Amino acid sequence: MDAVTYPDEQVSAFITENFIPLRIASDAEPYSTDFMVQWTPRSIVVDSFGKVHQSEVGFFRPEEFVPSLVLGLAKTAFDQDQLEACKKHLAAILADYPDSAAAPEAAYLQGASGYKTTHQGGALKDAYHTLKDTYPESGWAKRALPYRLL
Amino acid sequence: MGNTVEWITDFKEAFDRANEEKKPVLLDFFNPQ
Repeated sequence: MDAVTYPDEQVSAFITENFIPLRIASDAEPYSTDFMVQWTPRSIVVDSFGKVHQSEVGFFRPEEFVPSLVLGLAKTAFDQDQLEACKKHLAAILADYPDSAAAPEAAYLQGASGYKTTHQGGALKDAYHTLKDTYPESGWAKRALPYRLL
Repeated sequence: MGNTVEWITDFKEAFDRANEEKKPVLLDFFNPQ
């Protein structure tokens, strides 16, 4: 990540604008134990209350890391019931990074956040169709399968 | 903004800033070896 991803201009600008970047050695206690770090690189999105909203292990290319970070922002907002902010981030992933690994999960969460907003099953069914049509081999398409019945 | 992430290395400082700036923390664990 140090050689390729973090020096990337888009990555560094995105991190600087949207996060407080904290770097800890994987053998530093109590943090290594608290966050159950067994392998690096490990990138964790943590809110200001110390709650984890996304935890990723392994290398990300720059073009995959930015959408992954946007997904981390979306999941933080979703978990905090900030649904409008969540939906904004998810829409950005699907519009700007449709081929990224983060996109299928964004499509799934778009259904969930839409349902939580409207309490209508249509949002979930729309997510199912988006996943079936655009990301049919993804695990998220399989998770959305029950929504086809709505 | 340049092309460098300005990493904080103090846990408390990072979370104090997170509260002040209303931003989440991106916590990166790296192999020190």
